[in-house]
Amino acid sequence: MERQIINKKKRVFSVEPNKSHSAAFTRKYISHLVPALKKLNMNKNSSQITQQTVKHEVDMALALSAQEFAWSRFLLQKLSSSKNPTTTTNSSSKGTQVLERPDKEGGDEEGEIEEKLRELQKLLPGGEEMNVEEMLSEIGDYIKCLELQTIALKSIVQDTT
Amino acid sequence: MMMDRATQSEFFLNYTDMSVLERQRAQLKYHHPGFDSTLAGFLSDSSMINGGEFGGFMGASGSDFPVIYGETATGSDSRLSISPDNITTSATFGSGNFKKRKFNSVVTESKGCNAKKVMMNREVEEEEEKSKITEQNNESTMTMKDKSKKEQSNCSKDSSKVTKELQKTDYIHVRARRGQATDSHSIAERARREKISERMKYLQDLVPGCDKITGKAGMLDEIINYVQSLQRQVEFLSMKLAAVSPRIDFDIDDIFAKEVVSAPITTNLPNTVMPSHEMVNSGYPHEMVNSGYLHFNPVQQVVTSSDPLSCFNVNNGQAPSMWDSDVQNLYSSLGV
Repeated sequence: MERQIINKKKRVFSVEPNKSHSAAFTRKYISHLVPALKKLNMNKNSSQITQQTVKHEVDMALALSAQEFAWSRFLLQKLSSSKNPTTTTNSSSKGTQVLERPDKEGGDEEGEIEEKLRELQKLLPGGEEMNVEEMLSEIGDYIKCLELQTIALKSIVQDTT
Repeated sequence: MMMDRATQSEFFLNYTDMSVLERQRAQLKYHHPGFDSTLAGFLSDSSMINGGEFGGFMGASGSDFPVIYGETATGSDSRLSISPDNITTSATFGSGNFKKRKFNSVVTESKGCNAKKVMMNREVEEEEEKSKITEQNNESTMTMKDKSKKEQSNCSKDSSKVTKELQKTDYIHVRARRGQATDSHSIAERARREKISERMKYLQDLVPGCDKITGKAGMLDEIINYVQSLQRQVEFLSMKLAAVSPRIDFDIDDIFAKEVVSAPITTNLPNTVMPSHEMVNSGYPHEMVNSGYLHFNPVQQVVTSSDPLSCFNVNNGQAPSMWDSDVQNLYSSLGV
């Protein structure tokens, strides 16, 4: 009890405001994902829960937790529209690599960069509809959310194994 | 013709490497007292007037004003005029005039200098005449100049910023250097490119291992690879989750409802195994709000609970293992 009081008095606020933003995201993510998984479990008690549906829930939770970003809207659209949702990782799971081009003259460098930017756009949900500057800033947020998502998923998996 | 310190402070030299934004910022800073110390540090790598005898510098880094260039007439003192309220480019003003002058936001190229010219129109009538003269002078001198260096700054964007800051300018004329396109397209293009490189720098900080790479292409490669690896990780984990999920007793979550654990957020995810003390925020939102804190020191972990039975740990990495064992105890007690 004492410790409780002590701890409550010892309110620690994050010195890095960004991190509390991350906390908010993680919290939202978990609170979206776990009930969804629960529901999934209950609905499909006998049938096997496919990886696809889980992935769907995972992505859905991601999109719902990050609604301040443009990419999440696109992701949500994609998820809700398609019956068998194509996950965002489909393109990456096919092993698309960064294009290895033979060395060309310097004049082609701009084209190379543009090529890479287009590639990046493909990775980001909805990236192709954005212009480059917007895409670059959205990519930053997307990366952060992906990282938090992986942390959260790892925690869930670890806790249960 | 080295100018003495007092007048030096009033003079600016236009340097090719200085972006318009810097110059504009420099002008603002000029308004603030105590900027003199920055004078000496001004653009050391820029071309010098009169073969290096130039004396009037304005600190560029972090300085807020547009640089105004004096033109060195044949062997005479370099003349710079700074007037906050109107366009002036001084080519022929005596040094006495400078003191009278207020800030000048016109940047002109001085002889032999490559510079970008930015003019901001202001409404001070008394200066109008002079400015006309100086503009004429400048134009004539401009034609004589060699402009070769590329300017990077974004005039149109800067202009909007400057107008906000200075509040008197109606519009900004941008003069590009000779050899550079002056149409609005290329200026907008330059603006865009600056923005993009700004974002790239931000991404560089975000993606681990990117700071060692220079060059857009390499960085973009890294970023692409990183995003792909993150996405693959998510896929892999969700696969694992699918396999594990039947075993998850989701009621556990209710138990954890009262427990609020803050998860240290690490960003070196792809390369490292997740530290064992990382925990997930399993609390419900209102609980988090009630508990009122978040602590994200990656080394420490703050755990609180409104349940008197649960344990509190404020630790430096030792308690995590304790916490884990508690979790496992809970799980085992629930028969999972």
